[in-house]
Amino acid sequence: MNKRRPNPKQVPDPNEPLWRSTLRVAMPLNLSYIPIGLACGILLHAAGFNTLLTGLVSILIFSGGAQFLIATMLTINSPLLSIVLMLFFLELRYALLSSSLSPYLKGQSNRFLFAFAISLNDENYAINYLKFATDKKWTGKEALMVEHYSLLFWAVSNVIGSLIGSTLKIDLGVVNFALTALFLYMIVMQIKNRLTIAICVLSGVLAALCMMLTKSTLGLVISTIIASLIGFFLETTLRKRLPDSHWLWKLRSPGSKKSTVESESDAD
Amino acid sequence: MNAVNTWNSTQHFWLIILGFCVAFVPRFIPLMLFTKRAIPEWFNEWMKFVPVSLFTALIVKDIFIDSATYQIIFNHFSEMIAAVIVVIIAYRTRSMIISVVTGLLAVFLLSMFIA
Repeated sequence: MNKRRPNPKQVPDPNEPLWRSTLRVAMPLNLSYIPIGLACGILLHAAGFNTLLTGLVSILIFSGGAQFLIATMLTINSPLLSIVLMLFFLELRYALLSSSLSPYLKGQSNRFLFAFAISLNDENYAINYLKFATDKKWTGKEALMVEHYSLLFWAVSNVIGSLIGSTLKIDLGVVNFALTALFLYMIVMQIKNRLTIAICVLSGVLAALCMMLTKSTLGLVISTIIASLIGFFLETTLRKRLPDSHWLWKLRSPGSKKSTVESESDAD
Repeated sequence: MNAVNTWNSTQHFWLIILGFCVAFVPRFIPLMLFTKRAIPEWFNEWMKFVPVSLFTALIVKDIFIDSATYQIIFNHFSEMIAAVIVVIIAYRTRSMIISVVTGLLAVFLLSMFIA
């Protein structure tokens, strides 16, 4: 990822200003936000959002998954309550992320925590968690700067995407598959053992059943709660009764940075 | 493809405000509480299963559910094949951009040959 790797100078210049050293840490993330942000802006535009509101949603919600979800649910005309409920369940996972960062932010003022929580998301969490865990000099202040850089790149890419969307005519059917592909990618990244795969299958079947029964996307919320609770109870029971069960075997996958972060967060 | 949404900007604005509330609370409350005390284990364990369940449900909705009648449909063959391709690519490359772009290309090319 880091193109300057051949450079033998491993220790960063102590006189480097803080804004530059944190920008250097945030840069790979910032760059990867550009194509995703553009795609998200285009989709939000296709769902009817104007450019100003696209900027606002990128700053206030600042979550790729949530913004893609809004775009999908608007194109299928879901009711407001159903969208907000889905967002709530999608965003609930941030409770997990912010809980796991909390040991590193002990003693910070409530005002700082407020600012930190607003611009926290999956990707800058991954960077900050890794930095907190490996770099003793990494403090809340630097972490917040990384968050703000990523927020800036995300919001600007979204706004540009929205402008592109208003000048180009894009086939909704094909673009819509970008969301499906993104969700598929996120699932693959989170599969850790056979039980997770079983829960995916269960959740898929439940989702179809619940949507047919409720005749609305509220079925998605219901099936998510049921499937995640079943997963939670099955895993707890298996751990207690059959700790050697093959359902809990870890699945090995081609190594990557992301999986390192995940397995580290598992360890504590 | 289905009709584009008919909401106006005021409705979008309220959606953003409500969305902000539900996005902010789960990020802030644990940070507030757990910089002071320990995290309940069961909550962590439960939360681990929420994203996979939710994403699977969304994919099933996109591929197998008709958005007007909410009945199961089995005619999005190009999406089904493209989905399998995306899973393989995501597993092998672990790159979000490559997976999404390959998926889009696959669905675009497949839809020219099959429904």
